[in-house]
Amino acid sequence: MAQIEIRDLGIDYRKPKSNEVFSAVDSVDLSVEKGEFVTIVGSSGCGKSTLLMAVAGLVDLTRGSIEIDGKRVDGPGPDRAVVFQEASLLPWRSVRGNVKFGLEMQRWSGGDLNERAMQMIRLVGLGRFSDYHPHQLSGGMRQRVNIARALAVDPEVLLMDEPFGALDAQTREIMGTELLRIWERAKKTALFVTHDIDEAIFLADKIVVMGRNPGHIKEVIKVDLPRPRNESILDSDAFHELRKRLRAHLAEDMSSMQLVQEVA
Amino acid sequence: MIAEFFYRRQALVLGTLSMIGIVVFWQIAVDTGFINPFFISTPSQVAAEFKVQFEDGSVATNVAATLYCFVWSLGLAALVGTILGMLAGWFADVESALEPFIWFKYSAPTVAFYPLFVAGLGYGTPTIIAIAFLFALTPIYANTLSGIKNTDRDLARAARSFGARPLDIFLRVALPGSVPVMMAGLRLGVGRALTGVVVAELFGANAGLGYAITYYGQLMQTTKMMVSIVIVIALGVLLTQILSFLETRTDSWRVDSGR
Repeated sequence: MAQIEIRDLGIDYRKPKSNEVFSAVDSVDLSVEKGEFVTIVGSSGCGKSTLLMAVAGLVDLTRGSIEIDGKRVDGPGPDRAVVFQEASLLPWRSVRGNVKFGLEMQRWSGGDLNERAMQMIRLVGLGRFSDYHPHQLSGGMRQRVNIARALAVDPEVLLMDEPFGALDAQTREIMGTELLRIWERAKKTALFVTHDIDEAIFLADKIVVMGRNPGHIKEVIKVDLPRPRNESILDSDAFHELRKRLRAHLAEDMSSMQLVQEVA
Repeated sequence: MIAEFFYRRQALVLGTLSMIGIVVFWQIAVDTGFINPFFISTPSQVAAEFKVQFEDGSVATNVAATLYCFVWSLGLAALVGTILGMLAGWFADVESALEPFIWFKYSAPTVAFYPLFVAGLGYGTPTIIAIAFLFALTPIYANTLSGIKNTDRDLARAARSFGARPLDIFLRVALPGSVPVMMAGLRLGVGRALTGVVVAELFGANAGLGYAITYYGQLMQTTKMMVSIVIVIALGVLLTQILSFLETRTDSWRVDSGR
């Protein structure tokens, strides 16, 4: 059986003022194998982040179920850890303090917290910066801390919500390669949400393409590019082929919605 | 060298110069007969009188009496304001329940309650502490409330993703994140508590700087009165500066703190 099993998932929100019910995600079925790197891609408003937050246990399900290793998800748990966007580090804590934070919250009992935190900080290449505070770090470094914090609690599944969304293109590429290096050593199942097509292909064993109104899965695409990967695959024919396919999907989505609304 | 110092500490230098300028102008204006010293005395007379009052111990007595009331009122206000502010910031129902009192506090002058306190606590120290307590309470309460209430939702969510319980979020996210704004509230509270003590002393006390001000004021002894006024100002500046310093120490992690 797959490690993550999502069956007939639906998530509705009630709009705060009008009391209108709005469906963010509907009829989603997805299986993720142990050790697999799955990226979820789609235009904004397709429910990709909502889907990820549901797996994290941070959003209530309206319909269907999510199981991890056969256990039903009904809240956050030590088997999962989330890498958020940039702003989720505690600004008053040092790099080490931030990496220890997840361990403290989970009442980690696997030995010395400092030792564990330092190990993770070195893994993401920030050994020299363990006493720095977030405001002293670049965006890319902050996301390394975020990744270290998630890996520190030794989760089965690593959930990433557009972790490089706020970074410039070049840093983003470097971080993608870094993430793969770390992932290949840590061997975690990974779910990675992005709206960047190249990023989605570069990282994935499997790409989940989502569409909107309500958020649903349009296609699941296998990526057979060899590993370990580096930037050179960005220019391969197989990569171009995948990029064309994904572009077509997203273009379809864009034309089906009122652009005026999006601009407003 | 001097030019560089001036450039780097421009605000400080200009502020000091303008202060000195006022004092010099004050002295000259009186010396040249431009202003009658009966109304405002002169810097040199005030300095001489300060020496007299310092040596006969009345400065120490008055400062001690004022500081005694100040410490008690600020301490109580910090304790009560912080606890109530935390509760109201965390539980919306507590905030709603306390809101009318805050409206009263903002719209009605606290001194208006003075006779009520006199009736209950009598003239003197307890009433002074009670009035100053009310003066200082509001900013401490309001800042603590807003700090806790405006806890960063992204940080709280990240904490929850690691299995944090509500108490964890309060202690590890909401509280440390609120320290800078709570310190700002305390700084405001310090100024208000001192004002409260001096104002209450104006009305009825046996000692204290406010008492000395009214006492000599009523006797039309301007020089003696000015001594206490100058001490009150110096005390206020000193205490507020200490708090400002502590404030910058506690929010060094804030991106916008100018570091």
